[in-house]
Amino acid sequence: MSWRDSIKSNGAGKTGRSANRSGASSVRSVTYSTSPLLASKTPPWRSKFLVAVVGLSFCGLLGRALYVQVIGTDFFQRQGEIRYARTLELPASRGRILDRNGLILASSVPAPSLWVDPKDLDADPVQRKQLAKLLGMTSKELADRLDDNPNFVWLRRQVDDQVAKAVLALNLKGVHQVREYKRKYPEGEAATHVVGFTNVEDHGQEGIELAHEADLFGRNGTRRVIKDRLGRVVEDIGDSVAPVDGKDIDLSIDSKVQFFAYQRIRDAVAENKAKAGSVVVLDARSGEVLALANFPSYTPADRKNLTGAQLRNRALTDTFEPGSTVKPFIAAWALETGRVKPDTIIHTAPGRISMGGFVISDSHPHGDLTVSEVIQKSSNIGAMRMGLMFQPREMWELYTQAGFGQKPQLGFPGAVTGRLRPYKTWRPIEQATMSYGYGLSASLFQIAHAYTVFAHDGEMIPVTLTKSAASGDDARVAGLRVISPETAKTIRQMLSLVTGPGGTAPKAQTIGYSVGGKSGTAYKQEGKGYATKKYRAWFVGIAPIVNPRIIVAVMVDEPSAGKWYGGDVAAPVFSDLVQQTLRTLNVQPDLDVKTQIIAKDVPAEEESF
Amino acid sequence: MTRLNALLLLALIASAVYLVRVSHESRRLFAELDRARSEERLLDNEFERLKSDKQSQATPLRVEKTARDKLAMRSATPAVTQYISRAEASGAAGSAR
Repeated sequence: MSWRDSIKSNGAGKTGRSANRSGASSVRSVTYSTSPLLASKTPPWRSKFLVAVVGLSFCGLLGRALYVQVIGTDFFQRQGEIRYARTLELPASRGRILDRNGLILASSVPAPSLWVDPKDLDADPVQRKQLAKLLGMTSKELADRLDDNPNFVWLRRQVDDQVAKAVLALNLKGVHQVREYKRKYPEGEAATHVVGFTNVEDHGQEGIELAHEADLFGRNGTRRVIKDRLGRVVEDIGDSVAPVDGKDIDLSIDSKVQFFAYQRIRDAVAENKAKAGSVVVLDARSGEVLALANFPSYTPADRKNLTGAQLRNRALTDTFEPGSTVKPFIAAWALETGRVKPDTIIHTAPGRISMGGFVISDSHPHGDLTVSEVIQKSSNIGAMRMGLMFQPREMWELYTQAGFGQKPQLGFPGAVTGRLRPYKTWRPIEQATMSYGYGLSASLFQIAHAYTVFAHDGEMIPVTLTKSAASGDDARVAGLRVISPETAKTIRQMLSLVTGPGGTAPKAQTIGYSVGGKSGTAYKQEGKGYATKKYRAWFVGIAPIVNPRIIVAVMVDEPSAGKWYGGDVAAPVFSDLVQQTLRTLNVQPDLDVKTQIIAKDVPAEEESF
Repeated sequence: MTRLNALLLLALIASAVYLVRVSHESRRLFAELDRARSEERLLDNEFERLKSDKQSQATPLRVEKTARDKLAMRSATPAVTQYISRAEASGAAGSAR
């Protein structure tokens, strides 16, 4: 019997008049107290069972709480943190490269990179066309790029700020930007061989950018923060690591001199239909490099279609036989050791000497020359006669002290060592050719550096590309003594004769400043022998010759416009550079110049007071 | 006793509400500070960019070109330069006085 039936029967029995009413009203009037169900006793295990169930579930909760709060707390704390805490990268900016006057040669500027999620991209053809135009590509290029990857495509990396703003202004869904930095080189192609450039990841690839990478590149910092649901930072948590910006590098380069050197060598290369050219300007007192330029060069911002010829830093990486430019060293050592005096007569007739099956000749026979005239007229035979007075070891030591066969301590990538063979393997003919500059090789920079011996009163001073703290007369550095100051002075006088009448390079003269130097011309080496129609012309000089301030070395590679002597091709460049550089350095002319200033004696206007 | 408890309860509620308010305010201000900082960084970057732009507008190449073409200037030679040493200059100034 179900309970419903029992209620029905019960109700029917009690109230007969409501028997034919609806069931609902009959239920309402049930008297529960008499229900037999209620009358039955609840078995005691039931309540105990319930208590146990509730108790157990509490135990379960307690256990879980224990697990979450105590045992697994690390895991949960971490998971929670992942959901609200963010680590922000604090980018450090790369240091700047400045010239000696604080002008910027390289600095980092923001250049956003644009990327797109092609799945998300929502743009009609007109918008796509606009986008392509802004990015400087054709619609087809853009479409190809978008097909590359369905999830992530760089549109353009490191665009200008304005371009990025214009693209974002199109308001296309799926186009995003990332903050990045790129290097800007205001001086462009004039200084690029010194400054170098960085790659897209902001790491130095060439020049100073590479040499000082560790200093220039800062250390990125990080910061832990809590972000709210709108992505705003609401709290700092934990320790933040401050970013360390890269250090600025002060170069010894003077951007005015650098620019002028570049412009002048570029013009000289064009004028002489040459292949290439280089210039080095050194401060003779402090050993600082004031300019180092090569042509052909390149624009660091646009490095598409770069050729190796453009990238080569010829002044430092190309070696050649220094030729006549070493003759003053031979003369200096002969004077220093008392073997000759400046007016000692040396027989150079008849202009040709046969030695070990090899003919040494002068361009034209000179007869008897004094030591000064050997240098002035650049006689190979005269230099050879002096060179053969030395022991091979003596000559090797002289050249080594002057930096030949030694890597310049410049801290610049790619600087070459040149070649100077050990004296034990020299044959007599080699010592003979080496005394006029053949059989050894050096870069233009090494030759310029070697001339500090004459310019710095007999001392070989270290060179540097970074600015020294001292200025003016304090900047004079000490060097390694090679010859005595008196010998250096005598050699300087001989060098000034070279640029005088009867010398090989009268075109090196300048207005107002006394100069001295040595020209060099050589057939280019090709394979095992020398090419007949290819020349290299160079000139190394010092100015002002009495109290040297600068050393300038100029080299022109393969001049082919009819002139090829160093005195004709390189000396005019030297002359212009000396003039310009000394004026920039505020050096007073040491020669009398017929002044063209005519100050008339005009009475001054009386001031009213 | 009951009255004191009620009072304490009220005080507690008030303090809790105040705490919520203050922490909200602090977060708002912090977000604002953060925004200001990032703006500062942007402006610094911009400044750096403008400096280098200025420099590229004032390269020796451009200066020389403008001086030669627009202003018809020539580079000075020692022939048209009067060099004065510092001693001379102060001497001249002294005699002028």
